[in-house]
Order: sequence, then C-alpha cells, then structure tokens
Amino acid sequence: MASQNMDPTAAAASSNAALKGNESGSSAARGSVSKRLQQELMTLMMSGDKGISAFPESDNLFKWVGTINGAQGTVYEGLRYRLSLDFPAGYPYQAPRVKFVTPCFHPNVDEQGFICLDILKDKWSALYDVRSILLSIQSLLGEPNNESPLNTAAAEMWDNQDAFKAHLHLTFQK
Amino acid sequence: MVDLIVLSLLVAASLTVLEMQITVEQVLQYHSGSLQPQSSVWFVKFTRDHSIVVLMNFRHPLFVLLGGLKSLGMWQEEGHGDLCGPGPRGLQERAFTIIRALLLFSPSPVLQERVLEFYSRTFSVYMNQEGEAEDGAEVTDSPEGAVCPGCAVPTQQCWCQDALKQLQELSHILSKLQLLEWVSSEAVTSILHKLIEQRMEQHCRGEYERSFLLEFQEWLELVLGWLSKVFASEVHTDSLSGSSVLKQWRCHMHQFFCRIYVNMRIEELFSIIRDFPESKAAIEDLKFCLERTNQRQQLLTSLKSAFESRLLHPGVHTSDILTVYISAIKALRELDPSMVILQVACQPIRKYLRTREDTVRQIVAGLTGDAEGCSDLASELSRGDPVTLEMQDSDEEGNDPEDWTPDPTDAVPDKMGSKHRSSDIISLLVSIYGSKNIFIDEYRAVLADRLLHQLNYNTAREIRNVELLKLRFGESHMHYCEVMLKDMADSRRINSNIREEESRLSEEDQPPLSLSAIILSSEFWPQLKEEKLELPPVVCQAMEAYTHRYEKLKAMRTLSWKPHLGSVTLDVELEDRTLTNLNVSPIHAAIILHFQEKSSWTVEELSVKLGAPKELVHRKLALWQQHGVLREEAGGHYYVVETGSSKEKMERGMMLIDSDEERDSNTTTQSEQREEKLQLFWAYIQAMLTNLDSMTLERIHSMLRMFVATGPVITEMDINELEAFLQRKVREHQLLVSGDVYRLPKPN
Repeated sequence: MASQNMDPTAAAASSNAALKGNESGSSAARGSVSKRLQQELMTLMMSGDKGISAFPESDNLFKWVGTINGAQGTVYEGLRYRLSLDFPAGYPYQAPRVKFVTPCFHPNVDEQGFICLDILKDKWSALYDVRSILLSIQSLLGEPNNESPLNTAAAEMWDNQDAFKAHLHLTFQK
Repeated sequence: MVDLIVLSLLVAASLTVLEMQITVEQVLQYHSGSLQPQSSVWFVKFTRDHSIVVLMNFRHPLFVLLGGLKSLGMWQEEGHGDLCGPGPRGLQERAFTIIRALLLFSPSPVLQERVLEFYSRTFSVYMNQEGEAEDGAEVTDSPEGAVCPGCAVPTQQCWCQDALKQLQELSHILSKLQLLEWVSSEAVTSILHKLIEQRMEQHCRGEYERSFLLEFQEWLELVLGWLSKVFASEVHTDSLSGSSVLKQWRCHMHQFFCRIYVNMRIEELFSIIRDFPESKAAIEDLKFCLERTNQRQQLLTSLKSAFESRLLHPGVHTSDILTVYISAIKALRELDPSMVILQVACQPIRKYLRTREDTVRQIVAGLTGDAEGCSDLASELSRGDPVTLEMQDSDEEGNDPEDWTPDPTDAVPDKMGSKHRSSDIISLLVSIYGSKNIFIDEYRAVLADRLLHQLNYNTAREIRNVELLKLRFGESHMHYCEVMLKDMADSRRINSNIREEESRLSEEDQPPLSLSAIILSSEFWPQLKEEKLELPPVVCQAMEAYTHRYEKLKAMRTLSWKPHLGSVTLDVELEDRTLTNLNVSPIHAAIILHFQEKSSWTVEELSVKLGAPKELVHRKLALWQQHGVLREEAGGHYYVVETGSSKEKMERGMMLIDSDEERDSNTTTQSEQREEKLQLFWAYIQAMLTNLDSMTLERIHSMLRMFVATGPVITEMDINELEAFLQRKVREHQLLVSGDVYRLPKPN
C-alpha cells in the first residue's frame, strides 16, 4: 500500500533513523509504522472530536494534512488553521514534524509556522498520537506558553485580549 | 401420325382426369351434408369407403393410360418410331408429365385430407399388426372385445388386411405415376409429427425417472417398417433409391423426435430441475436431443421465465429458492458441462437472492447443517476439496468454442470474468454477493451465536465445520473463527483452574454462587449487543472475585463482563413450593433476586435498580408471572405469590399467551453492521474533505480503499455503492457536489 510509494524525503529520514540505531530493517519498520498510522487514522475517525481533523494528503500515509478550528471561548474562535504533519520512519519513537500551513499569529508559532510545543520536542513519547497532538495544539492556541515565545510581538500583545483578537482577525488569511 | 395418337391419348387422359375430379367432388358432396356430427364409427366407415374411392380415383385413369401407352409402345416397335423425335421413352415421359400436371394442377385440399386419413388408418393397422405382442393383452381385456384396434371397427368386419393391400396398391400406382413423393410426403410428415407427439404425451410427460431414448428408438424402427410400405414401389423394389428414401425418412424422424422431445422437456424443465436427482434420466435424454437441435436459446428463455414466475416472488421462502438453485446447479451441470446455461439461466435467481435479507444466513445455516431441508449443502461441504473441483473446471474450459455465448448485458461483471464458470455449488452460492468475506462474517456471527448460546465449551461440531470451511476459503479467512474456538477451549481451562482454586478455600470463603465464564478475545468476536444491566451485588462480587483470580492467572490482562449475556440456573423457593433448575437469562435472574429482599416492586423501581429500560423489565417480568411466582396488581406493583392456589394456576394458563421472547441473537445483525460501516466511511469522507477541500468520486474511493483498515466488520465499498451513498448525503445537504467534485458545505 503506502509503503510502496516512498516519498524521497521520508526515505532519507528512514535511513537516518536506521543510522541512529534502529536495528530492524527499514522496510519492515515502515510496514509496522504504516500499520500504526492506519490505526491512528481509524482512532481519529472513530473519536469524532469536534474541531480537529486530519487525513493523509495523498496515497502517502507518512504525510498528513490537519485542520484545527479555534476553540470556543478563545480569541481563535471561528478561525480555521491548516497544518501539515510529517511522520519520520522512526515514528512513533520519533516525534512527527508538525507545522502550520495557514499563517498563525501566536506567541508559540513562528513566521514559518513552526510550533514550539514540548510534546513535539523533548517531551515526545510513543504514547502520543495524531489525535493527542492535534488536541494539544488546539489547546495551545487558547493557552500559549509566554515563557518561551517564538513570536515576541504576539507574546506581548497576548495580555490585551481585545487588541490581540482585533489584530488576529485583521491579519488572518486563509 | 404419332403426334395425333398422343394427342388423342391426352384427350382421353384429360377426360378421365376430369371424370375423376367429378367423382371426388361427388363423393364429397354426398358426404358433406352429414359430415360434422358423425359418430366415430361412421367416420371410420367413411374412411374405409373413402380409401377405396381414393384408390379407384388413381387406378381408373392409370389403367386407361397404361393401356394407351402400351399401344403407343407397340406402335413404336413396329417401326414408326423414327417418325417422332424423342423416341418412345421420351414420349412416355411426356405423357406422364402431362398427366401429372393435369392431375395436380390444382391439388384440392380435400385430396390431401383424404390421403392423410388413408395413411393414418393404414398406419394404425400396420402398427397394430407389428406391435401385436405388446398390445395384444389390451385387446382381449377390453369389455367390448369386438373392436379391432387397427381399423377400429368390430372384428368381424375388420379390413386390416384389405387396408394393407390397398396401401401397397396405392404406393405402386403413385410410384408409377412418379407422384409418390409428391402426394405422400406431406401427409406422412404430419402423421409422424402427430403420432410422435401423441406418444410422447402419453408416455413421457411428467415422467422424469426413466430414459425414453431406447424405447423410442425401437418404436421409430417399427414406424420405419410402415414407411417402407408407403414408399415401396414395384419399380424400385429394393433398389438403391428406395433405401435412400427410407434413410432420409429415418433422419427426418429422428429430427422430429428430438425436436418434439426437447420442446416438451423445455416446458417441463422447471419441474425436472426441482426433482433433480430423481430426474437425472430426463436430463440425460434432454442433453442427447438438445445436442441435435438448435434450441438452447429457447431453453434459456423458457427456463428463465419459469424461474421468474414460479420461484422468484415474495411467496417463496428463501431456503426453497436456495434448494431449487442448488438442484438447478446440479441438473444444469449435467445438461451443459460448459456451464453457460447454468450461468445465464440462473442469473435472475442470483440477482433475486441478492435482494433477500436472509440469504446469507440461510446459506450459512445450510453449510453448518442447521437448516431443515438443506442437507445438500452440508454434505457438499464435507465432500470438500474445492481445489480439485476448480482444476477440473479449468480443464474443461474452451472445450467447445461453439457453445460460447456472451454474457447477457445485465450480467454482473464479476472478478472472475465470464471465462471462469465454476460448477462448484458452494463457490456459486458464495459468489452471489461477489465476495466470500460477507459469508465468512455471517458464519462468524452464527458461530458466535451458537457458542454463546450453548454455554458449555463443547465445540467438536464447530471445530469440524471450521476445518471444512478452511479447506474452502483458505486458512487466513477462518483465522477469526479459529481464535473464537480457541477462546472456548481456553475458557474451559481457565474456568476449571479458577474452580479448583476456589474449592481449596475454606468454608466461609467459598463464593456464594458458582460462576463460570466464557472469555472472549474482543478483537476477534463479532460485535456483541450492548445492553445495560446492573446485576445484584452478590453477582457483582462473584464476578469481581473471578476477575481477580483471572488477573492472577493471566498477568496484564483483565476481564470486562457482559452482564446481560449468559444464563443462570436457579431454584426459586416459595412458602409452599419450590421451582428447581430454572434456566433463565441474567436479567430474569436479577429481577427475581431483587424480590428476595423486598416482596413488592414497581416496574419503575426495578428499572432504576437494574439500569434497564422499563419496557424491557416489563417484558421480562412476564416470565415470572408465567411461572406463577409474581403477580401484577393495580398501580404497576408486582408481588411475590408465596402460596400458589389452583385459581392462580388457571390464570397462569392465560399468561402463556404473553410468553417471553423468541431466541434473541447475541450478535448485531447484518443491517446494523452495514449502518455501522457507512458511519465509519462517512467519518473518513468528512475528514478527507475537511483537509483536502474537494475531491472526485474516484479519488475518494481510492483513498477509502487505501486508508480504511478493512477488518471482519468493515468490508470494502465498491464505487457504485459509494456514489449512491455520496448522493444520499448530497440530498441530505451534508455534502455539495459541483461538476464531479465533492466538497463539504461551509460551516454555518
């Protein structure tokens, strides 16, 4: 299935993973990763969570597109963000690369859409899955970590919610 | 000079012919007045008279002519021959030609009719004499005893011998006139037709268990004897041309026979198929004859419409349709080894079966030997070894390219293609739905049902069935079922382990009730019905203890109980009587247990206690009312009946009407599963459209194929089904379609 249609970048990542001491053969590992991703997709579909969603963007199971709606009661309410999720061959032992495709004005998101979220970095664990990542990002939107901002302007503006909201909606582009 | 003589001869001849026609007409006029209401005897007499008339009519001109010709010949021999051009032979020919022309210038239908009658009569006379041995008994037995079976007049007046003589005479005259073929072939043909048909009606109709080929062969040889008399001629006696005519007639006769036989059997084919194993002889006969006539198409059309009008309507039970279908497979497999007839004729059955809800269940029941009447399937299954069956089929393939017919336009384009026609009954049945998964799923459901109902770990029969099905469908497909059976074996072991442990406990630690469990691996079993039920604390404690022991036995695993499934054996002790060994469902038991602490409950209270809906509780209470244990009083209060009176027993009889439920199935039904499948697909479709905006039908389909993990419950969806589903969603305004791309409507 998807494992036969290797994306070159993912293939490179898989050889990286192999170098990092992944003992098993990469193709075999890929098979089990595919299985896991398929399972995660199923879980996500069955969960029926409102406001988060994701799906493989093509026949490559290792590249997904995600969609997050701003949670109710936050300044992001009514906004809809597209994300890309890139799964390394070492998944789930390595975190997926997740970034915003829709520009997002947020203290923990930089201009390229990179997200500063602990569970995507050092706090990553194989027990997380796509669903928990998306839910975390959704809640991050409403509760930014202003201690280590990537976008200082946004971090400074955060305290004034009205101004933040006005700026956010003014600059929001789909 | 010669011309003159010839001319005069011709005049004479034409005169005789005229004369003859007048005679015929006179005879006819004479009889026509009283022709309609005659008795058969009179008619026979008339025939007799008439046969002589016919004969005379031909004889008279002939004598005149022959006389003339003789003198003509003499003239020639005397040396006058050189005067005329063509010579004596030519002259004779010419004379004959002119006579023929005059005689049959306008063959009156009456003449044909008379000839026909004459031949029929002589035929029956001949057949009577030849077949004397077989029919003799009948003649003497008949009460009148006086009627000759040949000429159908009282024996004293029998003119059988005359008739045969007359026949011979007529043949000779006609052949001399070279009119034999002309006058008699039509009559003979229609006589043969009628007689074969008659004989077939009498002997073969509705009689499928005997082969008639040989019998008819013999009979036809007899008929051939008569034909040889009809076509016998003085001129060509046992010459080559005579026997070649006979040979030709023999061919014709066989052709008639085959055609008539096929026609009749085609009409009866439905009944023949229905009786199949007994009607094998008829099928073999039909096969033989069908190969000699070109009536396959007729057979197909007629059989198809017979199926449609006699079988495929709501009044017929699915199992009966299946039985006929199975017979049809067996019968048509004999009839046409290329399986084309089978495939085409049974198309409507297959199509119809697809619309019946319980088809799969019936087939599976048949396979496992549960269904009454469908024992064929079970024995077919145990015959086993489809691999060799398939091999034979592929060898037979392409044997007869002439037989190839294209699939009808409404044929389902199955994966195997028209090239592959299987005759294996089980494969055919299973392929009704195009995929064996649906059968395996259904079998799994049936198996689950059986295992969960019998509750006694006894799986010998199921193991046998699973092994047989494994031969059919391959190991991998039956994997789930194997796990289920293994679960049963494991449960038994675990159970006895836990029991043993319990028995080692001290007296006061003994659990209050003995609990056995069947432990199912949830992944592998079909979806079980979910029903909420709060069991009384006693039972819960027992379950907890059991779980605890299980966890000790199997580290890292635990049990999640399905409190509503299972069965409870209990004794109900009342003041004056004890009901022992009642076997009831958990909810029944839970209800009656609650009455142990309090003797009066309302349905509402019980419903709260049990966490089950009121209607359900109400229904279940009926069982105890039926047993006379509970009694309903005003205000929906139920009381325990501690002392049973005879009056109560009377009432109990009445209660039986309100008897409790039919045997519930523990597993979800097919339609529930389908709904579940559609729900899941819809979730996927929504997600992909949310993230990828808009997609074509094909893309959605391929995405679903790629990413939906198909399992035992979720099977693939074909593109047509998907399109229909998407269109439904469009109608429900849950989906937009523009051009050929689908998208989700914008929120709010």
